[in-house]
Amino acid sequence: MSAQVSYNMATKQVRYEALVKALHGDLFRYAYWLCHDKHVAEDLVQETFLRAWRALDSLKDEKAAKSWLITILRRENARRFERKRFDMSEYEEATITDTKSTSSEQEIENYWLREKIAQMPEEYREPLVLQIIGGFSGEEIAKQLNLNKNTVMTRLFRARNQLKDALENTPNVRGHYNG
Amino acid sequence: MDELQFRRRIYADPNTRDEDMIAAMNSDPAKQSFTQELESLDSKLFQALNIEVPNGLSDKLILRQTMASHQQQKRKSRVRLTLAASVALVMGLTINFMQFSSAYSNLGDYAIAHIVHEEGHFSNTSAANVSLASLNDKMATFNGSFTDSIGKLMFADYCRFDGMKSLHLVFQGATSIVTVFVVPDNEGLEFIADFSTDKFIGKSQHFKDSNIIVVADKSESLAQWQTAIDKNINWSI
Repeated sequence: MSAQVSYNMATKQVRYEALVKALHGDLFRYAYWLCHDKHVAEDLVQETFLRAWRALDSLKDEKAAKSWLITILRRENARRFERKRFDMSEYEEATITDTKSTSSEQEIENYWLREKIAQMPEEYREPLVLQIIGGFSGEEIAKQLNLNKNTVMTRLFRARNQLKDALENTPNVRGHYNG
Repeated sequence: MDELQFRRRIYADPNTRDEDMIAAMNSDPAKQSFTQELESLDSKLFQALNIEVPNGLSDKLILRQTMASHQQQKRKSRVRLTLAASVALVMGLTINFMQFSSAYSNLGDYAIAHIVHEEGHFSNTSAANVSLASLNDKMATFNGSFTDSIGKLMFADYCRFDGMKSLHLVFQGATSIVTVFVVPDNEGLEFIADFSTDKFIGKSQHFKDSNIIVVADKSESLAQWQTAIDKNINWSI
């Protein structure tokens, strides 16, 4: 019996490590765009994976792993706000991770875009992150966020619309492109 | 598909490739280039969203899980150890209780058990060569002596009677052996005057500090033995 247990433990360990390796990056990015803080994002990812480890037996379909983990992470994030409501105020100041000193055109554009994404209302940003980073379809996002698909598509439309406008109206970036 | 609807759908998902969308793109170069524009926006967005993941995050995640489950394992094994200790303690107490407490509740049961245990050990035809003197020698331990021989004594020695040092005497009876125990008072065993099984019969007599128990086959006349003992035994102070 104990051999069986340790065999199961070993299998679980392998599964867990595979999951970590395949998905920790996307999870971290998603967490970052939820909270705009690298350290908080890291904590969220750690909590998420610890919970995932404990509940790993309930994950039957590996294909569903990513949305499963994102569900856990969103719950963890919500819990964070239950604990510390004043964290809300930090939301405004986007702690953007990139340094301005790396001055390649791409980096500057990234910097601007990140600012814009960070300033976007969360209800627009979250579906966008799920679509672009998570690679989820409209239906999947709708399910994840508990919205109907039309709402999700409208939000995605508005998100891109806003960002496109912002990008086109940024004199700095525009100058680079036009020049 | 009108222009607005097409744009909305491309904005919502630049990678959408439904049949009606493909048809619309193919029929209108403006729609095609708009799609490309949005695709390039998306690749910029991907660049921007695709922030750098901290170095070694995956190792950290694995390490943390390993530590957590190790802690859990340790807690589990502590619980197991505690359980094992409790079981051992209970078993120890039980064995102790069984070993040192009376398995028999009264003198009679014990005497019968003793005799059944050594049945066949003595035969009624064995030589009866224990003298009165050597019997009294042993009786001295119990502060008693016999004035006269009460029968043909084949065996006299100390034995353990429920953990008490007792004297075990085997006499030659009319047809089979008669066993007499001299047992000091024992709190653990209840005194019982008469007892019997389907084969044996026994009688106990209480004296000053001792009990004398006579056990024999049902055919033997125990009353006669008891009378003889009663007449001949003396207890010193």
